Amino acid sequence: MKLLTLTAAFAVTTIFTGAAMAGPVLDEIKANDSLVCLVNPNSPGFSVPDSQGVFQGFNTDFCRMAAAAILGDAGKADIRGIGFSDSMKTLVARGAHMASRSITATGTRDADTGMAFVATTFYDGQGFMVPASLGVSSAAELEGATVCAEDGSTTLLNIADWFGDRGMSYRVENIADKTARLEAFFSGKCDVYASDVSALNSDRLLAENPDDFTILPEVISAEPLTLVTQPDQELEAAVFWAFQVMLNADKFGITSGNIDTIRADLDAQPKSVRRLFAEDGATADMAAKLGLPQDWAYQVIRQVGSYSEVFERHLGSGTPFNITLAETQNASADQGGLMYAFPIR
Amino acid sequence: MTGASTWAKELFATPLAALLTLVSGAFMTWLGWLALSWLLFHAVWPWQPAGLCAVRTGLCWPFLFEKTRLILFGTYPFDLQWRALAASLLLLALAALTGLQMIGRTRLRVRAFVVIWVSGLGFAVLLLSGGVLGLSPVPSVFWNGLPILLFLAIAAIAGAFPVGVLLTLARDQGAYPVLRRFATLYIEVARGVPMLTVIFVGVFVLPLMLPPGTYIAPVPAVLIALIFFHGAYFAEDLRGGLQSLSRGQREAARSLGLGYWKTMGLVMLPQAITRSLPSLVNSIIGAYKDTSLVVVVGIHDLISTARMSFNDPGWRSQALEAYILVGLWFFASCAALSAIGRQLQKDRETERGRVSQE
Repeated sequence: MKLLTLTAAFAVTTIFTGAAMAGPVLDEIKANDSLVCLVNPNSPGFSVPDSQGVFQGFNTDFCRMAAAAILGDAGKADIRGIGFSDSMKTLVARGAHMASRSITATGTRDADTGMAFVATTFYDGQGFMVPASLGVSSAAELEGATVCAEDGSTTLLNIADWFGDRGMSYRVENIADKTARLEAFFSGKCDVYASDVSALNSDRLLAENPDDFTILPEVISAEPLTLVTQPDQELEAAVFWAFQVMLNADKFGITSGNIDTIRADLDAQPKSVRRLFAEDGATADMAAKLGLPQDWAYQVIRQVGSYSEVFERHLGSGTPFNITLAETQNASADQGGLMYAFPIR
Repeated sequence: MTGASTWAKELFATPLAALLTLVSGAFMTWLGWLALSWLLFHAVWPWQPAGLCAVRTGLCWPFLFEKTRLILFGTYPFDLQWRALAASLLLLALAALTGLQMIGRTRLRVRAFVVIWVSGLGFAVLLLSGGVLGLSPVPSVFWNGLPILLFLAIAAIAGAFPVGVLLTLARDQGAYPVLRRFATLYIEVARGVPMLTVIFVGVFVLPLMLPPGTYIAPVPAVLIALIFFHGAYFAEDLRGGLQSLSRGQREAARSLGLGYWKTMGLVMLPQAITRSLPSLVNSIIGAYKDTSLVVVVGIHDLISTARMSFNDPGWRSQALEAYILVGLWFFASCAALSAIGRQLQKDRETERGRVSQE
């Protein structure tokens, strides 16, 4: 996600500048009948292997979304767990077609050749967790605090920015291993635990008594976690609009559960829904132009589901993370969030 | 004197000894109690529902049933995992054969031994990678858990041995002083640098030295780095053996009219290797355990697959079970290696005894 080894990755990137032209990546995916998609090998809720060694999670489902849209079968996503800097190198060296691994889109990263940021699937940001007994209700009261954070990550840089801008003193307890870092925080070795808000929510639940810890309201950085593909206009369009189909489905309450009944009686549906799923709808028109299966939008919803469905499945109330979508920045724009469904017509 | 009274005499010899015995005894009882309550009193047994594991503090058997296969083979395609298992068994058999050869239970000729090794390693890689003989290809990112640990450890040790022999020959000669200095410099640098640095060099710097446009996967990159790292340690072990031989050996070989390579290959090295076996075994145990450090560059060995197992959202409080399982594996395999080392030591002592009697 954001290791300092990033620098090394991009030093290598510059070697491969020859591979940066828009090209027939989409054709290659169709010729291989398989889409190679890189995920974080070990990120609870986002991508982690299940007992059979098959990756499951929020990010994993966007690999499956792309495979469903392009190949008509979500199962044709060849999902590989690779560390951050290696996945960048692999993508640039054309060893994979896309990556869905919580990569923060930043200006300098996008300016590098060899990869394209396509669609933001999760808006995250860095926050703070404190013991409730500390009696702190705002991060502005953290003067002189000891912060537990990950070694070598942008987390530390964000903390330095935030405390520095306010002229507050702080001390960092630098622990690389996550289990050890959390243990240090829960046992009171640090006053504050800093990480991305999505991670804080799940980490809090690992405490013996989660109610003893609270997450402060301040979010001190912007982390738009974005899908990355090899540069290829058709591939980028296919992935971007497949994601928009998932957002549009939410707008009309369509899920993998009811898509078949809705499709059976399309004439009774609003025109926007008909444009999404009818055989002569806008998506079929796009399919002809991009070379996708004619019913790609239907396949995405039937095999993967709508955005809120995917969110709920991996991070929602039925999971240990228990995040309420409507309370996060990832709620739809109608509910005051940032997920804005582009029109498909 | 009976056993019990010997114990009592040693444990309660003086008031201070008695006090220390009581304190450490209490401490051990406390530890034992903790272990027992974890293993038995608070355990969730295999026939109990897995949901209990989140509530109870003891050993979670359902977790082990559910996740052992993931810890062993990681993300290797589930229905092809027999190949990962076969490759692991093959690699273990190679290691066992080498151990038996070292303690003299098998007496294979050197050439046959090398052939078995090379073909065994090649066949293990073939099983893992597929792509031939109708085996579907599996890229190296999916070689997780036990097979990758065994492959990296065994291939690195096997590759490092000839490197070590060449280095020690280069260092232990006078005809080419420049070569000797270079060998010495190399060995000292390799031994003065932490292995973590070497692994990072393998993954991040080695690719920079390759022609542009080539991509080297982490597994071969790390393997190359490990071979050259362990080679330096083996060289020093072998040099110790070489220097312990009397000058007469070399002079006798020379006077028989043997050239340099024959002197070394037929007379000096076989004896030097036999003599340095105990310290070689020591280095091998170190090399084997260090292999787990490859986790820092994203190769998913047992430690990494163990982390995957308890990062599954449903099993997040089972880190201890996963680490204990991996710990048991390392304990068992290192114990087997030390057993070989002890046997070698014993053989040498009986040999020495026999020589002195003659």
